[in-house]
Amino acid sequence: MNLIDRYIHEVGRYIPRRKRGDLLEELRSSLGDTLEDRYGEEPSESQIEDLLKEMGRPREVAASYYPQSQYLVGPALYPLFRMVAWIVVAAVLGAQVLAWGIGLFLAGETYAVLDMISSLVNSVPNALGWVLLTFMVLQYFDAKPYLEEESWDPGKLPAIEPDQEVNRGETIVGLVFGILFLVMVSFFPQWIGFITAPGGKFYPNPVILDNSLLIQIALMVGVGFNLILLWRNRWELTTRLLRIILNIYNVFVLGLLVNDHTRWLAARGSGGLLDGLAAIEGLAEGGWELVGLHAFRWAFLVALIVTSIEILVSIYRLVRNQLKKDFSVRDAVVKIE
Amino acid sequence: MMINNTQSEQYQKLTQELRRGVLVLAALSQLQEEKYGYALISRLAEKGLDIEQGTIYPLLRRLEEQGLLVSEWNVEGSRPRRYYQLSEQGDEVLQDLAEDWRQLTQVMEFLLKDGGN
Repeated sequence: MNLIDRYIHEVGRYIPRRKRGDLLEELRSSLGDTLEDRYGEEPSESQIEDLLKEMGRPREVAASYYPQSQYLVGPALYPLFRMVAWIVVAAVLGAQVLAWGIGLFLAGETYAVLDMISSLVNSVPNALGWVLLTFMVLQYFDAKPYLEEESWDPGKLPAIEPDQEVNRGETIVGLVFGILFLVMVSFFPQWIGFITAPGGKFYPNPVILDNSLLIQIALMVGVGFNLILLWRNRWELTTRLLRIILNIYNVFVLGLLVNDHTRWLAARGSGGLLDGLAAIEGLAEGGWELVGLHAFRWAFLVALIVTSIEILVSIYRLVRNQLKKDFSVRDAVVKIE
Repeated sequence: MMINNTQSEQYQKLTQELRRGVLVLAALSQLQEEKYGYALISRLAEKGLDIEQGTIYPLLRRLEEQGLLVSEWNVEGSRPRRYYQLSEQGDEVLQDLAEDWRQLTQVMEFLLKDGGN
């Protein structure tokens, strides 16, 4: 029944988690009934394949539970559309709140509640409109998120490997924050810095201002990568390799940032990693910039270490998966012989 | 050859649309007693109405969401099965739809015989 498990698992990937259990259980039960009725209690692998061919591609089976007539966005694109729409709404809301927060914090600007609501009423439908328009164009050109061969072959269903599942929540959070940071770095780089106290003096970070282009590229590529990951919805050789390359670039940018912070700090006689502690003692004399830059350097250093570890883990997983594949091919050959 | 293929595709689409319209009534008519999905498909096929599995299950879900059917899992057989049956509201809707259907078939019979003359 392995093929049935794989089929059901694959259908489940296109169905929202909360609806999945019950619906897949019924699908399993109906497949069992059909097989038993047609071929008796122990159907052969090829008989199961025939039934699955008849049932149709997993994506189509899942889409049949979400009927849409006269598609602006059809069943093939709809799950992705729904997800991107949510992400965009979250990012727009986040950017709006961030803009208000910064305005309030830095400039002491206050906003009337009605103004805030009216700007949301404008910005959210506006953003959703653009998403819809984009997907209508994709629909018009019949774009499909998956490259499909002409005929649907159940034998080629991927194995169930939890390792290859994309953690959608994590990816979406990454995407939302990526877009938020990108908006910040692109449009308000002068607002990235530190503040002495609410309403107090604000110091922009000079190193970030100097390197904003490199940071923008890293964030943009990161957003693009997360979109590809959601689109493919599975870790594959290409996505794993892409992630490693992207992370190597990130390490390069983070290394540069740490280095430039060190240079800036060293020029002020506070280059050592632990000089930050001495700088805190100097706060009373107004040494805010030193403390701020030390804090930024620590943050980038931690990010650098985490990203480096991530690269190693990604390489390990890549190698392990490739080895596993080789083994399963060898096992199959032994069995045939 | 091309024309024939296009015509038969066209015919298939039209006949599918026609069947889709009566599917709700057909399913409701057979669920006065509880049945699970595959039993309903077999029953309809036995009576001459072939329906694909991919059509019936989403339909049953939709009818249940609309309150026309109720369902429950039964785990006593060889495998767990979800049994569907008409709700009170579903029963009333079935009576109304059946009446509409009878009138419609009379009108259609007349229209087809009449041929617009």
